[in-house]
Amino acid sequence: MDAGRFAALADAYGSALHRWPPAEQAAAMLFAETERGRAILARAGRLDAMLDRHRVEAASPGLHRAIVARAATEVSQKRRRRFWWLGFGLAGVGVAGAVAGLALVTVVSPDIQADHYVMDANTTSFGDAGPDADQAEEDL
Amino acid sequence: MGADPDEELVRRIGAGDPAAVQAMVARKLPRILALAARMLGDAAEAEDVAQETFVRIWRHASSWRRGHARFDTWIHRVALNLCYDRLRRRREWTTDELPEVADDAPLPDAMPGDEERRVGQALQRLAPRQREAIVLVYYQELSNIEAAGAMQVSVDALESLLARGRRALQAMLAGDCDE
Repeated sequence: MDAGRFAALADAYGSALHRWPPAEQAAAMLFAETERGRAILARAGRLDAMLDRHRVEAASPGLHRAIVARAATEVSQKRRRRFWWLGFGLAGVGVAGAVAGLALVTVVSPDIQADHYVMDANTTSFGDAGPDADQAEEDL
Repeated sequence: MGADPDEELVRRIGAGDPAAVQAMVARKLPRILALAARMLGDAAEAEDVAQETFVRIWRHASSWRRGHARFDTWIHRVALNLCYDRLRRRREWTTDELPEVADDAPLPDAMPGDEERRVGQALQRLAPRQREAIVLVYYQELSNIEAAGAMQVSVDALESLLARGRRALQAMLAGDCDE
């Protein structure tokens, strides 16, 4: 590793080598023993020391409790949703079975159709001209 | 990629194990809260983000499958998205106009014992993507590959964001760093 790469890594990751890319840590440790390496790390370390002063408040017990309580609500809602989906699923299976049964009955036992249709003497192309038609002719 | 240390805990949460829920909160809440606090600079908003992040964990635990990212990286991404939602709501910027350059003018001289607050101010003045990179790698101690994955950028882009962010912090905290 040359000084340029070592300085670039220190600029990016700071002075603690455990934050550096794992693949480059071994070479970096060797360079860190040099005078140039020590100077680069010392410069990066001054900013690290500043950054280390920044602390954030620990989580309050109330926040911890609220998050755990929400987990219980989410789990019970999920179970309820699962129950409803199971119900819908069973109902769907029932409906699908009924439709399939109806379709099967229709296919297996179709309507009985006459092999041929006997044309009646009273039948016209407008339908059956039965007794009313005869009466109308007599009235003329 | 090695074994995911959270995988078993996630599986138990998915199976509805209350002890696993407690363990997950104890393990991840400090990390998520710290991430959100440093991204937002507001303790109350950070608590809200932590709660919302856990709601997503509870909802997705049973269906979560390890893909390319570890569970810890995934929850960092979830928390970061929630942080960005809040930052956008503050109207500091719009989605397409994320500032890339930090305001790195030196902060006023520090009073004794004031350094922590000054570092917090300097972090908030960084460009958000630079702040995100520094928070993930420096404070959350994600590896470069995990941080780049959480930020959905290349490792080279991550290193560039880190270097620019640290330079900006150095300029803002110039007097303090020389001490």
